[in-house]
Amino acid sequence: MCPSSDAATTNPAIHERVVILPANLHARPAGQLARAASGFASAIRLEHSGRTVNPTGVLAVMGLGATVGTTVTVRAEGPDAEQAVTALADILANAE
Amino acid sequence: MTNPVGIVLVSHSAELAAGLRLLVEQIGSDTVPLAVAGGTDDGRIGTSYDLVLTAIRHADRGAGVVVLPDLGSSVLTARTVLEDHPRPDVTIVDAPFVEGAVAAVVTAASGADLKTVADAAKEARNVSKL
Repeated sequence: MCPSSDAATTNPAIHERVVILPANLHARPAGQLARAASGFASAIRLEHSGRTVNPTGVLAVMGLGATVGTTVTVRAEGPDAEQAVTALADILANAE
Repeated sequence: MTNPVGIVLVSHSAELAAGLRLLVEQIGSDTVPLAVAGGTDDGRIGTSYDLVLTAIRHADRGAGVVVLPDLGSSVLTARTVLEDHPRPDVTIVDAPFVEGAVAAVVTAASGADLKTVADAAKEARNVSKL
């Protein structure tokens, strides 16, 4: 047993990344985000233009109406927050 | 890992159901068992008891099936099929057709259970588009 590594994995971390959208956040990337988000234990939120949504809701993500050149903030809190933020930020950054 | 929940799209129009199927496969996933029952047995606008029953069987991989009707007689036909063949793991859901299908397929693709998939489709009604 290694208490310090246990503490590191169970202690909820908050991670955040801001992405400037290379394209409009339309249906297909919204679906990718929802499927990716459902695979993490952390609580994940997307923030755009003063609105915050849970990215597991594909319709809510589309409803943000986020357009090319604007920013979306990915925020996650939980045991796999860093991986969650990395995965979702990558999808946003590579949206076509 | 268990199979995903199955989705059945019931529409008056075979083209509408087939087009929605293509759309949800692009947005959501082509790994979710999805079956369509569109139009009448002879290809006209309307609904078919037999097509709905067959579609439910095709979409059933053991994790349950969510049936999404477009409107009107699609609802009536789907309900009649479920009344004649009652199963606790096959449920008809009152949801907007396009949005409900997208939400259901994306949720099913994540491995969610029947209730979660059905709820995702229902909640589609409350998600603002603008």
